[in-house]
Amino acid sequence: MAAWSCRFLRLGDPLLRGAHFIASRTAPATDRYLVSFQFVRTIKSSTWWDEHLSEENSAFLRKVVPEEYDRMTASKLNPLKDEPWPRHAWEPGSRRVGLVALKLGMMPMWTKTGERQAVTMLQVQDCHVIKYLSKEEYDGHTAALIVGAKNVSPFHVSEASMDMFRNAGVPPKQKVTTFKVSDNAILKPGTPLYAAHFRPGQYVDVTAKTIGKGFQGVMKRYGFKGGDPAKVFKGKKMPGQMGNVYDTAHGLKVWRVNTKYNIIYVKGSVPGHRSCLVKVRDSILPSRLEHIQNPPFPTYFTDGDEELPEDLYDEAIFQFGEPSVTLA
Amino acid sequence: MAASVRCVRTAICSLRAFGNQNERFLSTSLPRLASGGDGDQPPKFTPPTKPVIIDKTQTDATLRRFLSPEFIPPRQRTNPQKFRLERKDMIQRRKVLNIPEFYVGSILAVTMSDPNDSGKSNRFVGICIQRSGKGLGATFVLRNIVEGQGVEIRYEMYSPRIQQFEVLKLEKRLDDNLMYLRDALPEYSTVDFNMKPMTPSLSGEVPVNTLKVRMKPKPWSKRWERPNFNIQGIRFDLCLSPEKMEEAKKWEKPWLEYDMLKEYDTTQLEKNIWQEVQQEMSK
Repeated sequence: MAAWSCRFLRLGDPLLRGAHFIASRTAPATDRYLVSFQFVRTIKSSTWWDEHLSEENSAFLRKVVPEEYDRMTASKLNPLKDEPWPRHAWEPGSRRVGLVALKLGMMPMWTKTGERQAVTMLQVQDCHVIKYLSKEEYDGHTAALIVGAKNVSPFHVSEASMDMFRNAGVPPKQKVTTFKVSDNAILKPGTPLYAAHFRPGQYVDVTAKTIGKGFQGVMKRYGFKGGDPAKVFKGKKMPGQMGNVYDTAHGLKVWRVNTKYNIIYVKGSVPGHRSCLVKVRDSILPSRLEHIQNPPFPTYFTDGDEELPEDLYDEAIFQFGEPSVTLA
Repeated sequence: MAASVRCVRTAICSLRAFGNQNERFLSTSLPRLASGGDGDQPPKFTPPTKPVIIDKTQTDATLRRFLSPEFIPPRQRTNPQKFRLERKDMIQRRKVLNIPEFYVGSILAVTMSDPNDSGKSNRFVGICIQRSGKGLGATFVLRNIVEGQGVEIRYEMYSPRIQQFEVLKLEKRLDDNLMYLRDALPEYSTVDFNMKPMTPSLSGEVPVNTLKVRMKPKPWSKRWERPNFNIQGIRFDLCLSPEKMEEAKKWEKPWLEYDMLKEYDTTQLEKNIWQEVQQEMSK
C-alpha cells in the first residue's frame, strides 16, 4: 500500500511541476515532452531498495549489514551472564517455547533391530526469542513468546516489525511465530535457541505450510472413488484449493540431535517443501507427555554448565560408527 | 588385457612360493630347531611368518580412483549442508564395514544378519543388476537362480544388518541396468554359490564383459527394444524381426541429447568429494 501511494505521489509530482511550469511561462512543446519522459522513468525505478543510492553506498551497505548481524548475534551468545531473567524449575504441566527450523530434507536411519526409519532433518538457523507477551498483552489466558529464525535483508522489512527486532537487539528474521508458554518458561528477548532444546526420545509437533496443489477435484483432494454425490448435505466435501494451508504433524519422535550444526532428526515426514521454515514445539499429545520429563528448562543455554557431545542419539537408534548388528 | 594380468599374477605367485621354500630350508628352520630343541621336549613348531608382498610397481598414481556413485548428490536445489552431513554418516559406516568397489554386472556375495533366525546370518550370491538411490538410501539388487527359480534381493548399502560384502568378480557390462536379465534365458543370471573370489586388479580400467544375452520369447516385462532403454546387451536379431526393430524406432527422441538443461556435469563435484572422502577415511 505504501509503495502504491508513494508511486501515486511521484506520478502526480512531475505533472504538478509541469503544470507549474506551464503556468509560469508560456508552454513550449519541448516542456510537455519532458514531462511525459519523467512520468515513465518514475514508475520504472521504484523497485529496488538501493534505487536512490550510489553504487559505492549500496556496496558499503551490503558489506556493513552482515557485519552488523554478526556483531548482534555474537553479543547475544551468553544469555546467562547478560542480566538474565529468573529461571524456574520444570514441573509437570509447564509449556516450553518452541523453535523455528529449516527443513533440509529426508534421509534413512536404522534402529538397533535393523529396521529402517525415514527421518526429516530440521536445521535451527539464527533462531532467537524476539518478544515476550504477558498474559494481558496476549489473550488473557497464557503468556506468549515471539520467536523468529533465518536472517533477512533489513530493506524489505516494515518499520513496525523492524522496531520489534531492534528492541530485541537481533537481526530481522524471515519467519516469526508465537508460542504459548507457561509463566515459568518465559525467556528474555534476544535469547538464542538451539537444536539441543529438544532431546532424543521426546516427541514434537511440527507445523508448516503444506505444498500447494492448486484447485483440485475430490478424487485427489479427499481420495473419493469418483462419481457424482447423490444428496448434498451442508459441509459436503467438494473440489477446491488443496495444499498451501498450515498443517501440523503431531507426535513425531526425535531420533537424534546434532549440536554442532544444530540439526534435529525427526521421525517421518513433515509438512512443507524443502528449505521451508517450520515451527517445532513439544508435542501436545497427552500420551506423549510422559516422554518429556525434565527437559532443558526453560531452554538449552550454551553458556550453562551442560557439556554436550556433537551427536545425541536415542538409545534405540543405530549409530553409524558402531559395528554391524547381529539380531538375537 | 585381463588375461595377461592374470598370467603375470600366477607367475608372481609361483615365484613367491619358490622363494618361500628356499628361505625356510636355508635359514628359518635351523635356528628354530636349535632354540626349541633344549631339554627332552620336541621342538615346538611355529609356522613361518606370512611374507608380505609389496608391489612397488603400483604407486598411488596408477591406482584406480573410485568414488561410489551414491556420494554424488542429485541435481536439485537442496541445501548442500544436507549432503555433507549425510556423507559424514556414510564415511563413518564405511570405516566399520568395507564396502568395496563394484558395478552393475559384477558378482557379489552379501552376508546379512537374519531377523527371523536369532544370531544367524544369510549369505546370498548373485549378479548385481541395478544400483539406485543417493546418499544413505543407496541400494543395489542381486539376482540369482536358485533351484530353477529366479531370486532377487534388494540390499540397502548402509543397513547395519549387512555383515560383509565380497566382490567375487569385478566387471562391467554393456549396460548400466541389467533388469532385462529377468526376461533373458536363466543361464545368464545363474551364479554358483560356492564361487571362488577372483582378486581384482587395483589399477587400470575395469574389464567390460561384452556378453550379449539371448532372450526368452516375448512377452517381456518391458519392451526392451524401445530406444528409451538404449540396451546394447541383448541379441535382438535372434528374437525380433527387422520390421519390429524399425517399428521401435518410432519412440526415438533424438533431440534429447541436445537438451542443455539436462546436462549434469559432475566431474568437479566428484573430484572434490573424492578428496573429502579420502581425507576422512584416513583419519
